[in-house]
Amino acid sequence: MKSVFGDRKTIIILLGPALLLYVLLKIVPVAWSLGLSFFEGNSLRGFEFVGVDNFVKFFNDGAALQSVGVSVVFAVLATAGQVTIGYLLALLYVFVLRRGSAFVRTAVFFPMVLPTVAVALLFKSFVSVGANQGPVNDLINFFGFDSVEFLASGAGTMAVALVMTWWGSMGFYAVLLFTGLLDIPEEVIESARLDGANGLKLVRHIVIPLSLPILLSSLIFSFNSTLKVFDSLLALNGGGPGTQTAPLTLYMYRTAFEYAEYGYGSTIAVILTVLCLVFTLAIFRSSRTKVED
Amino acid sequence: MTALTISPTATETPQPPRRNRQPMGRRVMRAVRRLPVWILVALLLIVVLYPQLWMVLGSFKTQAEFLSNPTWALPEALNFDNYIQAFTRGNVAVNYWNSLLVTIPSVAAIVLLGVAAGYALEVMIWKGRHGVLLFILAGIMVPGQMILVPLFTVYFRANLTDTLWPLIITYVVMGIPLTTFLMAAYFRAVPREMFEAATVDGSGPLRSFFIIGLPMMKNAILTVGLVQFFSVWNDLLIALTFTTRSELATIQVGLLSLSDEYGSTQYGPLFAAISINIIVLLIVFVFLNKKIMAGLAAGSVKG
Amino acid sequence: MNSRRSRRTLLATGIAILSIGSLAACAGGSDGGSGGGEGKDPKAFTVLLPNENPTLKAQLDALAENQCAAENEALPLEHQSVAQADVVQKMTLLASQGALPVHFVAGTAQVRPDGDLGASGLIVDYNEVLEPAALDNILPAAKSTVENVYGGMVSLPYQYNVEGIWYNKQIFADNGIEEPQTWDELMDASAKLQAAGITPMAQPGAAGWPLTRIMGMYIQRNVGPEAMQAIRDGDAKLTDPEYLAGAQALADMASAGYFGEGFTTMEPDASTNAFLTGTSAMKYDGSWLLSNINDEGQNTIGTENVGFMPFPAVSGGKGSIDQWAANAGTATATSAEQFGPLVSDWLTCISENYGQQALQDAGVISGFKVNGEVTDVPETTALVQDTIANIDETVLWFEALFDPKSNSLASTNVSLLVTGQMSPEDYMKDLQASIDANK
Repeated sequence: MKSVFGDRKTIIILLGPALLLYVLLKIVPVAWSLGLSFFEGNSLRGFEFVGVDNFVKFFNDGAALQSVGVSVVFAVLATAGQVTIGYLLALLYVFVLRRGSAFVRTAVFFPMVLPTVAVALLFKSFVSVGANQGPVNDLINFFGFDSVEFLASGAGTMAVALVMTWWGSMGFYAVLLFTGLLDIPEEVIESARLDGANGLKLVRHIVIPLSLPILLSSLIFSFNSTLKVFDSLLALNGGGPGTQTAPLTLYMYRTAFEYAEYGYGSTIAVILTVLCLVFTLAIFRSSRTKVED
Repeated sequence: MTALTISPTATETPQPPRRNRQPMGRRVMRAVRRLPVWILVALLLIVVLYPQLWMVLGSFKTQAEFLSNPTWALPEALNFDNYIQAFTRGNVAVNYWNSLLVTIPSVAAIVLLGVAAGYALEVMIWKGRHGVLLFILAGIMVPGQMILVPLFTVYFRANLTDTLWPLIITYVVMGIPLTTFLMAAYFRAVPREMFEAATVDGSGPLRSFFIIGLPMMKNAILTVGLVQFFSVWNDLLIALTFTTRSELATIQVGLLSLSDEYGSTQYGPLFAAISINIIVLLIVFVFLNKKIMAGLAAGSVKG
Repeated sequence: MNSRRSRRTLLATGIAILSIGSLAACAGGSDGGSGGGEGKDPKAFTVLLPNENPTLKAQLDALAENQCAAENEALPLEHQSVAQADVVQKMTLLASQGALPVHFVAGTAQVRPDGDLGASGLIVDYNEVLEPAALDNILPAAKSTVENVYGGMVSLPYQYNVEGIWYNKQIFADNGIEEPQTWDELMDASAKLQAAGITPMAQPGAAGWPLTRIMGMYIQRNVGPEAMQAIRDGDAKLTDPEYLAGAQALADMASAGYFGEGFTTMEPDASTNAFLTGTSAMKYDGSWLLSNINDEGQNTIGTENVGFMPFPAVSGGKGSIDQWAANAGTATATSAEQFGPLVSDWLTCISENYGQQALQDAGVISGFKVNGEVTDVPETTALVQDTIANIDETVLWFEALFDPKSNSLASTNVSLLVTGQMSPEDYMKDLQASIDANK
């Protein structure tokens, strides 16, 4: 039996093409860029070896450190929001709407498929002030307050970007988590109900622990994508005002491609990758201690 | 109201009523208690659907309406000029065709390679498979911008830059890690006995993949395929870097030509192009919807 | 059966890998500019233009069909495109592979003599390679602007834009305002307009540059036309008081509310609309605004009510109101390696005919002479043409001579300056630091 599932030829045929493409066109280019992070220049001007200068430069570069802050804050808040909202929606689907949830699930999922440029334009219009003021400020005026120019401040832009991200992705996480909840055996929940667990208590002591694995996957997936946020912040306000909402990816893009400093750009990318790795490992770690408790 | 509460649901039917003191009162009570839920759901739907409706309505507005009327105003007339503009100035038809030419083979290849790799890593038993899985998973962490310049050089040397191949190849490579990871998770959910039973019947290991593995994963494949479809369809970064001829531009690149050099945007035609995009994706989505949702429900990412 | 199939698959995979490998290994010398023969002419006249500029593409197509049909026959026109935001990266990548198109847009810093393209001799200096007849077709003012911005004649002036203040004659008359000649008069006029409930000047902050232009022009008027050159040469600092005054002037104007409600995040279209529908009295902008002004669907105040004046003088300043800010569009360079007789013919034909073609067909004012008659020139376009014809001296805009990084910083940070989140001193200090760091 084991020999059938250990058939080497089959493994090579099935795994070979994917692994080969992956190594040739992803790992090799990454290693290539990794190497370039020790150089200065670009492919036209030529590269010059500078050792770890780029890394030293990075940690003394105010703009770079600011963008690390932007990426991390965005990733933490976006992840917390989209996983929490997604989870609440999933609970709604499973325990409240039950079988009638298909339509709602689809409708809430759909924003996920819209191009970011379009979504950014939409949110920009909704919060705009002036001649063609958006509904958000109409509402603020209605309650007797002055219009707020959200995109004129870093905090305002970040808030709009977060709402935009949550709006776009909550449906996706809802469906992902919904799947996990469906797998919880009916009997477990019923017997807990009979024991008098209800509402919040039921969720806290039964549902959350049982759906922990899927929650963790969602967290990891969410962190890794929000840490690399690029187009939504760019399309919303160009990383502005100033560079207050410019994430690391945008700083990397500008450095490598607009300022043509490819070596330093690679350094930034390496640090971003390390950041992703650290967060992923941290989540794994915390989950392990929780499970051991 | 009551019809909603007495309709049988999965969790209720097997449960016999324990106490039967005030059936009518309880029913009304439940209906009232459910009212906030329905209000909540209605609000949710408004929040989700209204902006999309707004985009579609926007495709009928003139530039002046966009700039002078309030954001929530309805279009003054139902004119299709913007659609005509989108097709003439924006060259939207060619853009859509290119997007299809790129997306379909990419997604097909991503799914095929990813499923095969997932099977090899999860169902097949060999030393080091967990290490390889982690190695592939690491690919999710690398920012896409990092591989652009080396790949451009390779594509150029391979004389591929005047074709759509660079896009297809890059999407496949970018899609492999997540797909493999997800498929491995889906395979994990399948009881081993099912594969073992199939092999006992005398089918070879490769055959059992095609005959048992693939069909069993139909839902999962649809799900992963759809997630990849959207991410490939909506990509701008790669499409921007690897195309130079406007005949090869995809729809996301095409949308850019609806803005001009000084930052001015043709809102109407832009929203017309986006509406077409929404409609195309809606068709794809509705067509496959039942299957995706079932797919997402059947297997799942188990960490 | 089974093993045969798998062997075949393996073989196919192997071949695929080998072919990818060999393709990757073989250097890209097979194509490119060495088309053989004497003049090293390429096989086609490949032109790479920004996605965002469909007009230029359409005009070149029109030339290829009509006036330049013979040139097009000999060397067919082929288009490539690039997103404006991606120009620098794309040109770096293409140039490093020896794959430059024949005629292309490039980043301002790249085409300068010390830039990546300029320093490696990859692009031509039109002064050296073009026929005298072709050079004669370039307006002297446009030529000097190109040379000022790019440090050499390395771009063709497909556009020639002057910048100034567009104003609403009707609103000015109603409020008893004359064309302001000095900055103080402009501020007085703005106060008057604001009191009358009209937005004095619609400037879109979302784009950045419409705001830095005001600061830059103030500095040019205050310090003189060499102001920004002095910064580039290191003879002056942006933190010097006479430069700082420019940032202060812009910040003051913003805090007085002269740009109207919500200007920090206003899109260019919205501000153009505000001006053309009469809710704002003025707008600092370039002559490219003509296409909006001449469009009756957008312009509800009537072309006869649109006036154009130079940026006012600053009292006590060394600059003069007669020095107009001008630019000559995005840098359009030509590959040195692929410059042969046929390419030269093409460029000569463009220089002869583009001026007339673009003006007649798209109302675009270019830096080429208009040879031949153009009918139905709108009034405002004629006004601008007239203005251009009478200009003796032009100045550059604020960021024109900055390195790319400082250029980007100038326009991103300006939104902080006008919202009071950054003081004029800090704004200039940061910018100067960036200029020093990127020397």
